[in-house]
Amino acid sequence: MTRNLLKHDSIADFLEILATFGELHGPVLTDVGVSAFRPLGPGIDLLLDYSRTLVPPKKYLLPPRDTVLFFATDEGYRQPAAAVPETILVGLHPCDLQGIAYLDKVFMRDRIDPLYRARRTALTLIGLSCEPDEYCFCGDLSATETHGCDLFMRRSPCEFHLRSNTPKGKAILDRLTPILAEGEPLPADSRTCDMAAAIQQASVRGETFEKSALWDEFAGRCLSCGACSLCCPTCYCFDIREYGALDGETTMRLREWDNCLFKDHGEVAGGFNFRKSRQERFHYRYQHKYLGFGPTRGIVSCVGCGRCRVVCPVGIDLLELFKESEDEKRP
Amino acid sequence: MRNGRDMTMVPLPATIIGRKELSADTTLYRLTLESSEKDRFDFNPGQFVQLSVPSGGEVPLSLAGPPLLHYSFELCVRRVGHVTDMLHHLLPPNRVGVRGPFGNGFPLSEWTGRNILLIAGGLGIAPLRSLLYALLMRRGEFGEITLMYGAREPSAILFKEELAELSGRRDMHLFLTVDFATEQSPGGLACNTGLLPTLLRGVNFSTTGTVAAVCGPPALYRCLLEELQGFGITAEHIYLSLERRMKCGVGLCCHCAVGDLFCCSDGPVFRYSQLKGISGAI
Ligand SMILES: Cc1cc2nc3c(=O)[nH]c(=O)nc-3n(C[C@H](O)[C@H](O)[C@H](O)COP(=O)(O)OP(=O)(O)OC[C@H]3O[C@@H](n4cnc5c(N)ncnc54)[C@H](O)[C@@H]3O)c2cc1C
Ligand code: SF4
Ligand code: SF4
Repeated sequence: MTRNLLKHDSIADFLEILATFGELHGPVLTDVGVSAFRPLGPGIDLLLDYSRTLVPPKKYLLPPRDTVLFFATDEGYRQPAAAVPETILVGLHPCDLQGIAYLDKVFMRDRIDPLYRARRTALTLIGLSCEPDEYCFCGDLSATETHGCDLFMRRSPCEFHLRSNTPKGKAILDRLTPILAEGEPLPADSRTCDMAAAIQQASVRGETFEKSALWDEFAGRCLSCGACSLCCPTCYCFDIREYGALDGETTMRLREWDNCLFKDHGEVAGGFNFRKSRQERFHYRYQHKYLGFGPTRGIVSCVGCGRCRVVCPVGIDLLELFKESEDEKRP
Repeated sequence: MRNGRDMTMVPLPATIIGRKELSADTTLYRLTLESSEKDRFDFNPGQFVQLSVPSGGEVPLSLAGPPLLHYSFELCVRRVGHVTDMLHHLLPPNRVGVRGPFGNGFPLSEWTGRNILLIAGGLGIAPLRSLLYALLMRRGEFGEITLMYGAREPSAILFKEELAELSGRRDMHLFLTVDFATEQSPGGLACNTGLLPTLLRGVNFSTTGTVAAVCGPPALYRCLLEELQGFGITAEHIYLSLERRMKCGVGLCCHCAVGDLFCCSDGPVFRYSQLKGISGAI
């Protein structure tokens, strides 16, 4: 028996203790009625029962606009000193945790991005179990529950079962002891999803659905609005822009979210475009999400959060590719 | 790492020490890094740098000169847009920033004993000039060396004086061609008229044990690859240097993928056999 049960009516105390570890952020319902990760504080209710936020938590690691370099005539280019406050993100669903784990691989494995690392090191992740809705299709959750976060909260009717996975999580759990009750630790949740399995299999096969008529169909409807990548927890491709100050002496170089469905994503000087058609741009998105390239080759980066299916204004859903091929297999 | 700075992320200060106009829109720059150790800037031909023009931005540029060039390196830049335009206003001893070198470059050590055919279209001469000088520096290790270089018109031929010198060498062959001829022999150079595939068919070069290195616009690849294979040079032995939109140069920004390969970090030099099944690669 360990003290790991958090009663539902102890949430306020729980948050108060968490706030002593750093700036506390979590999902809230905003004035305009969307769920979003925001700072928590008195009078702001943490959403414990939500489907998904509109913008994923990647914004904490890769802000939409980020100054990556400063230039001054006398000192050349230099990286900004990253002064990042300790931040506790509470209420992350397993798909979002998996999204962060994927970004960690991209920005902290082969090549370490100093800004990303500074932010990531200052981040404590507290996961929360979820109930899938008709848009989700995540696979096995046990890995994210156990390795993907510092502390995980599994909900049951009257309480949350807490489990720490890291020293950071352990330190928090220790401080929470006075408000916790004794309970048996629960084994990690296991859930299966046919769609997630179909995606994995297609990825292993290196499937490209080259012959599908759906590419033309998608291309015919897509508005190139970019919502699908903006809201994706694992879309990270970025553009770089440089802005000189009026003094003519200093400059800022910014990294900004980009989108592979935008027309200029593959365009080079002189106007030649390596992905001129929307079909080609959809193939590119497919390649990155399900097959990967460069160091992420072979990794499925879609974590099944369902955001892109929810937000697309014209109802484009790449899962139709997988469904179509599953249907064909049936007699 | 130089001076404790990570050269893959932060541009190091470099000074323009030489500038030579090669045509109406293309200039050769010689740069040196302002590094206290004065260490040599080492690279493989075919690699590129990310050049920063402060307040303009950053562009990928092929290393165009011989490797190990006395602490300096050369870039051959065509003025085509925002950053390259700003660069063309700079003179020695103006300062720029350099990250790199990036990418793989041509695998020279795998070419020992082989005949080597270099085919450059337009600005594609930049990386192949670097490759040619590297081959000539180790001349004894290779068989026949042939450079075929095509430009739009005589005035667009870059490095005319150097080409004149190279044409006098006995240890290599040089063939030039222009799409449209307005004068008989540009700058005293012997020159054909017609596209590169026509030149390829019209001249003699060794086709056994030959590797080909090709760099030029996408249209060039489309018409040359079949021809080269027709001469018995296999897809394994045809090397292409690809251009793509690039922002970071280190496999992060995700603009330059070709199939499941990154042009910046898996390339920019690929064997044709790597690209054959990839739609949109060529
Ligand atoms: C591996 C490699 C090697 C190259 N070598 C040379 C060389 O030796 N000499 C030379 O003159 N040119 C070379 N280029 C092309 C050169 O990078 C472009 O001409 C240059 O980026 C144009 O920038 P700009 O701001 O002047 O043009 P603009 O059209 O104003 O460009 C706007 C933006 O688009 C992006 N962009 C446009 N074209 C390209 C491109 N081709 N690649 C990447 N980003 C692009 C730039 O980041 C730029 O910020 C090379 C490109 C690659 C990928
Ligand atoms: S591709 Fe869609 S479902 Fe998959 S992780 Fe991105 S937003 Fe979520
Ligand atoms: S959200 Fe839909 S319409 Fe917008 S870019 Fe993505 S696929 Fe196209």
